[in-house]
Amino acid sequence: MQYSDRPAPPEGTLARRTLAPGPGQHGDLLRNLVAFGRRLQAAGVLVTPDEAVDALRALDQVDLTDRSEFYLALRAVFTSRLEDLPVFDRVFREFWRLHPGPSDRADMDCDEEDDSKVPQPPEASQEGATEISIEEWNEAESADEEEEVPGYSAEELLRTKDFSAFRADELDEIIRLTTKLARRMATRLSRRHKQARRGEIIDLRRSMRRNIKYGGDPLELARKRRKIQKTKLVLLCDVSGSMDVYSRFLLQFIYAVQHTFANVESFVFSTQLTRVTDYFEQEDITDALRTIQREVLDWSGGTRIGQSLKTFNDLYARSMVDQHTVVLILSDGWDTGDAQLLDEQMDELSRRAAMVIWLNPLKASPGYQPLCKGMSTALPYVDVFASAHNLASLLELEQHLKAS
Amino acid sequence: MIQAVRTLQEQMESQGYITDQAIATTVYLAMALRKPVLIEGQAGVGKTEIAKVLSRMLETDLIRLQCYEGLDANTALYEWNYPKQMLRIKMGEGQAHSVEETEQVIFSEAFLLKRPLLQAITYPDKAPVLLIDEIDRADEEFEAFLLEVLSDFQVTVPELGTIRASHRPYVVLTSNRTRELSDALRRRCLYLWIDYPSFEKEVRIVTSRVPGINERLAKQICVFMEVVRQIRLMKTPGVAETLDWGMALMALHRDELDPDTVDQTLGCVFKDNRDILKLRGGAASLIVNEIRRLPEEQLATCSTAIAQRLQKELSPAEL
Repeated sequence: MQYSDRPAPPEGTLARRTLAPGPGQHGDLLRNLVAFGRRLQAAGVLVTPDEAVDALRALDQVDLTDRSEFYLALRAVFTSRLEDLPVFDRVFREFWRLHPGPSDRADMDCDEEDDSKVPQPPEASQEGATEISIEEWNEAESADEEEEVPGYSAEELLRTKDFSAFRADELDEIIRLTTKLARRMATRLSRRHKQARRGEIIDLRRSMRRNIKYGGDPLELARKRRKIQKTKLVLLCDVSGSMDVYSRFLLQFIYAVQHTFANVESFVFSTQLTRVTDYFEQEDITDALRTIQREVLDWSGGTRIGQSLKTFNDLYARSMVDQHTVVLILSDGWDTGDAQLLDEQMDELSRRAAMVIWLNPLKASPGYQPLCKGMSTALPYVDVFASAHNLASLLELEQHLKAS
Repeated sequence: MIQAVRTLQEQMESQGYITDQAIATTVYLAMALRKPVLIEGQAGVGKTEIAKVLSRMLETDLIRLQCYEGLDANTALYEWNYPKQMLRIKMGEGQAHSVEETEQVIFSEAFLLKRPLLQAITYPDKAPVLLIDEIDRADEEFEAFLLEVLSDFQVTVPELGTIRASHRPYVVLTSNRTRELSDALRRRCLYLWIDYPSFEKEVRIVTSRVPGINERLAKQICVFMEVVRQIRLMKTPGVAETLDWGMALMALHRDELDPDTVDQTLGCVFKDNRDILKLRGGAASLIVNEIRRLPEEQLATCSTAIAQRLQKELSPAEL
């Protein structure tokens, strides 16, 4: 584009420029549109020079003295997703210094509200969060859990203690074993795919062509290979207080999985959700774990599974979860949040994913029943409910992944 | 507003599609710039309807490609008619045709089954409207293929050569946002987000689409819909549900809402049993009684207040 390398005019003059050009003033308008496009781009909207040209073509078609039409035409060209709309409105207002047409007022006013829904950056009130969540957790545990399932909570808690098995000096061995385990899972799964590749679908189009020489009798069948969709994995690991004895071990497992499989996204949650995929990209697992522990606000805090899943569903699920995705939740199911919310979010997640696997470290303890509120709420939406208390149980995971 | 957009809006309305300036402007630009338009919005707000109205206005055919998971290029583009080819070969047996001659015949256009995309490209005489419905349900691979077709409107059939569109189709894509579409596809399209209609717009839709409905009932229905769209549901009802419900109430010869009838007809509005259970009895009656108490001129502005009262009535456990 010949205009794209020209320097943008100073901002002040831009904003004051007249909006409606007469015939032959397209140069100015195009320059303004390019600058407007850049401003949108800086604000996070996907814009290319082509769009400025399209915008010019679009403005040729509408009434430039009609503000709402001018606004609507630019909006149709420059935006490409719902999330762009509030950003577009803000930049439009700043750039063109215009009040929106009356018909669009409702549209334009909502952007402040939307901004506030964006999750706060982790810097905000880092100190306070942990304290509050632990408080909440303790409070909720004594009040809520005991009321809901009298007599059982204490028992479940005792069983938890039986499992605090791993000593610090065993750590190296565990890392070595989990990595080996993850590799084995990966190779086995890919071998299965290779066997499946011996094409099992008859390709009619090629068969017909090949058999013309036999007078159309299908003597040789051409086969085509079924497209292999690689399974994607999303791991959601509970790191709340009640999971303390397991979470470090399970995170090592996640680290190993992420370093062995191709498509893995990892998250940890307690009262809120944090994406940790990038932290695990670090080569050294001790560094990775240290970074995660530092970055995750409410490590060992309370548990709000429903809220955490809502964050996941709202922000990530659309781009990460589809019908080839296995979602793996590692949690004891002790939830102090809203059960109805958990129910809804599990419903949504299970519809979107190919399979939801819930690994509960408590499940292996003798006589365990999923009685706590969180676990019983989530269970109807879970395809595979298994344990995760030792390496052998994690190896069984391979079977479930195969089934998908 | 330029005359053309106003005329378009009037034309769309005369085709039974009640619309607003945002929709009319975008559709007008899509026609004027000949760019595909990507329409997103909740289920049941009338995304697909736009393509249908467009084809009626342009007096051309609507060619629809319904996307689904696993949809591939073959299914969307063309397929050879294998049984017919087979028969032709059998019929030719005993005659002295070479393999090449037989090939020439059975791989000609007469043996080609055109699927929607090829139909749209080879449509004779004038440009058709091509509706690519629920593109988010197809996979990324298909999306990439589609992008290619949409950029030059030509396809290559190995046996026949390259087929170029004589009339560039008007393209409408819809998505329910179950999957993120690629930036490349989004960039190629004009974008239109359709929200649930405003109260006034929905009343106009109901009165124009439900024959014989009186103004008061139409308004009552629309307030009810506005209220329930503000509470948390498994599946928020769209305009399609509003119309179904209006039809049902007309069939029952009702001229205003009453709690019993509403309870009996909740199935028209809510498509998830949990929502019906939530509204049946108390909650629905509360809305209806509030609506009946109000004079007609206040109906346009009352939904937020009723929704707030409803929130208080429904215990936290229910919400």
